Amino acid sequence: MNLMIKTDNLEKVYRTEEVQTKALNHVSLTVEQGEFVAIMGPSGCGKSTLLNLLGLLDEPDGGSLQLLGTETSRYSERQRAELRKRSLGFVFQSFNLIDELTVFENVELPLRYLGVGAAERRQRVEQVLEKMQLLHRRNHFPLQLSGGQQQRVAVARAVVNAPPLLLADEPTGNLDSASGHDVLGLLTELNEAGTTVLMVTHSEHDARYARRVIRLLDGQVVLENSRSQF
Amino acid sequence: MLPYPLLLLYRNFKRFKSTFFINLIGLSTGLACALLIYLWISDERSFDRYHALDGRLYQVMENRRTAAGIETQGGTMPLLAEALRREMPEIELVATTTPVPFFPPFTLAAGGRQLTAVPKYADPAFFQLFSYPLLVGTPATVLQDKHAMVLSEALATKLFGSAQRSLGKAVKWQMAADSMQTSLVAGVFAGVPRNSSEQFDFVLPFASFKDRMQMSETIKWDDDGPFTTYLALKEGADPAQFQAKLAGLLKTKSAQAQAQGRTLFMRPFAAGYLHGTYENGVATGGRIVYVRLFALIAGLILVIASINFMNLFTAKASRRVKEVGIRKALGASRAALVGQYLTESVVMALLALVVAVGLVQLVLPQFSELTGKPLALRWEPQVVAAGLALALGTGLLAGSYPAFYLSGFQPAAVLKGKLPTKAGDVWTRQGLVVLQFTLSVLFIVAVVVVNAQLAFVQRQPLGYDKAHVLRFDTGGKAARQQTAFLAEVKKLAGVVQASTVLGGFLGGRHVEEMSWRGKRLPVGTMLVNYDLLETMGMHLVAGRSFAPQFRADSAAIIVNQSLVAGLGMPDPVGQQFDGRRIVGVVRDFHYESLHEKIKPLLLQLDPSINTVLVKLQPGAEQATIARLQQLYAAYNPGFTLDYTFLDADYQAQYVAERRVAVLARYFAGLAILISALGLLGLAAFTAERRRKEIGIRKTLGASELGIVWLLTGSLTWLVVVAIVLALPLSYLLMQRWLEGFAYRVAWQWWYFAAAGLGALLIAWLTVSVQAWRAARRNPVLSLRAE
Repeated sequence: MNLMIKTDNLEKVYRTEEVQTKALNHVSLTVEQGEFVAIMGPSGCGKSTLLNLLGLLDEPDGGSLQLLGTETSRYSERQRAELRKRSLGFVFQSFNLIDELTVFENVELPLRYLGVGAAERRQRVEQVLEKMQLLHRRNHFPLQLSGGQQQRVAVARAVVNAPPLLLADEPTGNLDSASGHDVLGLLTELNEAGTTVLMVTHSEHDARYARRVIRLLDGQVVLENSRSQF
Repeated sequence: MLPYPLLLLYRNFKRFKSTFFINLIGLSTGLACALLIYLWISDERSFDRYHALDGRLYQVMENRRTAAGIETQGGTMPLLAEALRREMPEIELVATTTPVPFFPPFTLAAGGRQLTAVPKYADPAFFQLFSYPLLVGTPATVLQDKHAMVLSEALATKLFGSAQRSLGKAVKWQMAADSMQTSLVAGVFAGVPRNSSEQFDFVLPFASFKDRMQMSETIKWDDDGPFTTYLALKEGADPAQFQAKLAGLLKTKSAQAQAQGRTLFMRPFAAGYLHGTYENGVATGGRIVYVRLFALIAGLILVIASINFMNLFTAKASRRVKEVGIRKALGASRAALVGQYLTESVVMALLALVVAVGLVQLVLPQFSELTGKPLALRWEPQVVAAGLALALGTGLLAGSYPAFYLSGFQPAAVLKGKLPTKAGDVWTRQGLVVLQFTLSVLFIVAVVVVNAQLAFVQRQPLGYDKAHVLRFDTGGKAARQQTAFLAEVKKLAGVVQASTVLGGFLGGRHVEEMSWRGKRLPVGTMLVNYDLLETMGMHLVAGRSFAPQFRADSAAIIVNQSLVAGLGMPDPVGQQFDGRRIVGVVRDFHYESLHEKIKPLLLQLDPSINTVLVKLQPGAEQATIARLQQLYAAYNPGFTLDYTFLDADYQAQYVAERRVAVLARYFAGLAILISALGLLGLAAFTAERRRKEIGIRKTLGASELGIVWLLTGSLTWLVVVAIVLALPLSYLLMQRWLEGFAYRVAWQWWYFAAAGLGALLIAWLTVSVQAWRAARRNPVLSLRAE
C-alpha cells in the first residue's frame, strides 16, 4: 500500500506577544492510500490545526510532512497551491461556499484553477451535481439552499477534480442528523471508490464511519485504533 | 451570460451597493478630470506642430549680455535670412518675417469693400517653410513679386466672394497713417489653424517693407531688430553642429556685437509656444509650466480616487477574506487571486471610464469656455488609447494594494472569516486617508492663495487709473490726420482726455542700454503723445508733462522713478540723458503685468502714433462711444471702431492665472468630494466593524454623544495629521508660484487656518452622519447579531 500522508514530529506554535501556545506537539502519523481516517479529540486539542497543516492551508513550525510521497514542509506558496488544486479536496463545517457564486460556479471553481476548458468543466460539474442530486439547484445561490444541500454542494466541489485525498473538517457540525447521515454516506461512497478520506470530528457517531480513529489531546496523538478495536 | 469578471463585479455590486457607488463616483470623476486635462494638454502640445518640416524648423534667437544678465529675444536684425542663406550651406530654407504684434491691423479696400485685417511681411520662402496650403498660387513663387499679396481664404472670400476670383485682383491697403498702396493677389492660403501661435490674415513680401523703410540692401551686423527669422535645416544636417556655427557667427561679423556679448542661437520652432520663457539665457519654461502643473493635478486626483478604492476594498476585506481562504483551499495560486482582484478593479475603472466620458461630454462646453479652447472629445485612436490607458493605469493602481493585501493571507487563518489584524494594515489604510486629506488641504491652500493673489492684482495701486479708458487703433484718414482727429476726439462730450501711445499702454517695451556719467542701465522707451499722463491719471513727482507750447519737447523726455533711482541721479529735471533733456519725472507705474518689476523707462514724444487712449466720463460711456464711432466714421466711411477697454486689457494679462484660479477651485472641490466620499465609506465600515463594541458600550451606559466621539475621534486625528503635513508643503509650493510675480500678496496665517478648518469640518460632517446612525442603533439588535 502506498503512503498518502506521513508526518514526522510535526509542530505548530501560535504566538501572541506574550503567550506561546503549542497547538501541535511532535505529531507523527501515517495514512495509507484508500483509508478513511477520523481525527478525534476535545475542543482545542489541535484537530483543525492538524487538518490545516495536512491540507497545506498553514505552515508547520517544525517536523516533516509528506503528501503523496513528497516532502512538503519546505514548499513555497506557489507549490502548495499547485498541490492543493491537483490533489486535495476540502469539506468544511461551515460549508465555505462563496455566496456570490451559484451552485454551478462554486463547484466549477477548482476546475477553473486547473485550467480546464469550458466545455469539459460544464460536463464534469453537471456529472458531479447529478450524482449529488443537485442538478436542479445549479443556478441557485448558496443562501437559497438548506444546510444539508449546501454541504452536498461543498462535497461536490471538493471532489469535482477527483483528488486522491479528501479532507473534511467537522463536515456534519452544522447539520441536522438526517443531513449529516447523508453527507457521511457520500464520504463513505467516495472512499469506497478509492478516495482517501481524512475527517476531523468530535462526534463518536460520525467517527464510526471511519475505519481508523486517531485521538488527539493537547496537541499530541494519544491513541490510534482501527474500527475493530472500538 | 456576462464574462466572469463582470459577473463577479455585478454580484459584488449587488452585495455592496454603497461601496460600489462611492467607487464609481470617485473613479469616474477622477477619470473625467484626467480626461479633460488630457484634452487640454494635447491641444497645448499640438500648437505649431502641424508644419511638414516640423523637426527641422527653427527660429533664430538672440542672446545679449546686459547689466541685468543675459537677455534673450526672438527679434533679429533685418536681412538676416539673406545672409544666412548665403553663408550657411546646411540651411534648406530661410525667411525673415515681421512678427504679428508689430503692426496694428491694416486697412484694406477692394471691390468697393473696406475692412481691417492682420498683416505679416515675409520673405519668399515663407510658404515653403510653413505648411499653410495654398489654394491658389505656388509656394516657391507666390511672394516673389514685390507687389504680390497672399490672402487667407476667409479674407479673399470677404473681399472677392471666393479664393479663385481673387487671383490677380488689386487690393488697396494702408499701414496705419502711411500712404495707400496697391498689391495684386498672387495666392490664397487656406488660413491659419487655430493651434498656431500667430494668427494673421494676409502676407506681403518682406522686400516691399524693406523698400518702404528704406533699409539698406546689405545686412548690417550691428543692427538690432524686431524681425523674426525662421529656417529649415537640410535633411541630415546636424543641428548641434549648426548651433555651434550660429553661435560663433556674430563675433566674426561685428566687433560691436562681440563687445555687447550678442550671440545667435536657434530653437525648434514648435518649442516656442510652450517653452517661451528665458532667464539669463536659459530656457526656464513658459506655458509648459501649466501643462506640467495640470498633468500633476490630474495624477493627484486619480491617486485620491484610487485611494478610495483601496481603502474601501481593504475595509470590506473582512467580508471577502473568507472567500480568499476558500479559493486558496481550492488551489487558487496567489497570482490567480491577484489577477482576479486586479481584473475586478480594472473592470471597475473601465466602467468608471464610460461614466467619465459621459461627464466629460456634459462639462466640455463649460471647460472649453474656461480654457478658451474649443475642445472636443473625438473618437480618434489617440484619444481612445489615452482614455483606456488612464483607466487601465487607475485600475491597476487602485487594485494593486487590495490585490496583494488580500491574496497574502494564510488560508487557514482566514477561513473562519476572521480578518487577522496586522498593525501594518491599519497603518497603511490610515496613511492613505492622511495622504488623501493632505492633497485636499494642499488644493484648498492653492485656491486661497491664487485667489488672494488675484485680488491683490486688482487692489495693487498701479500708478495710473485704468478705469473708463478706451483703446483703439486708427487707420485711414483718421491716422493720416492724427492731430486733427485727436483734437476732435478731445472735444466730444463725455471725453475727459485723450492721447496716443505706441503699441498700447500695457506691455513690454523696447529696451536699450543707456549710460549716464559712466553708469549703464537698460532702459525701456515708451513713445507717447501729449496729454498721456493726464489721460492715464499718472502722477508727476518732479518737472512737467509734455506740452505743445514747448517747441523743444521733441527732444525732451520724461523718466520714471526707477530710472532716476537706477542711475542715482540727484536732481533729474533739466539733466541731459542719452542726448535728450529730462523735463519731468513720473511716479513709477505698472506698464507691464505684476509678474514684472517696474523697470527704468523713458517717455518720448511722438505725436504720429496711432494707438489712441480715451478717458471717458463715467456713467455715460455708451453715449460717448456712439459719438466716437460717429466721428471715426466721418473720417473713415464704412469703418467701425474696434475698441477695447484698458481695464479688459489689464485683466487679459492675468488670463492664465484666472484660469488657474477657476480650475484650482474645481479640482479642489473634486478632490475634497472624492476624499469625503472615501471617508464616508470608511466610517460606515468602521461603524459596522465596531457594532458589537458599540452595543456593549451602550449597554454599559455610554451616551450617544460619547459613541459619536468614539467613532469620529480617530478619524479626526488622521485629518489633523494631514493638515500638519499639508501646510508646510502647500507653503513651499505656493510660494514658488507666487515668486512668478514681482509684486505678490503677503502670506496670512488665516490661509492655513481656513484650509485646515475647512478640511476638518468636511471630515467631521462626513463621519458624524455615520457615527450618529451607529450610535442610535438599538444595542440589543447589535448584540443579538453577534
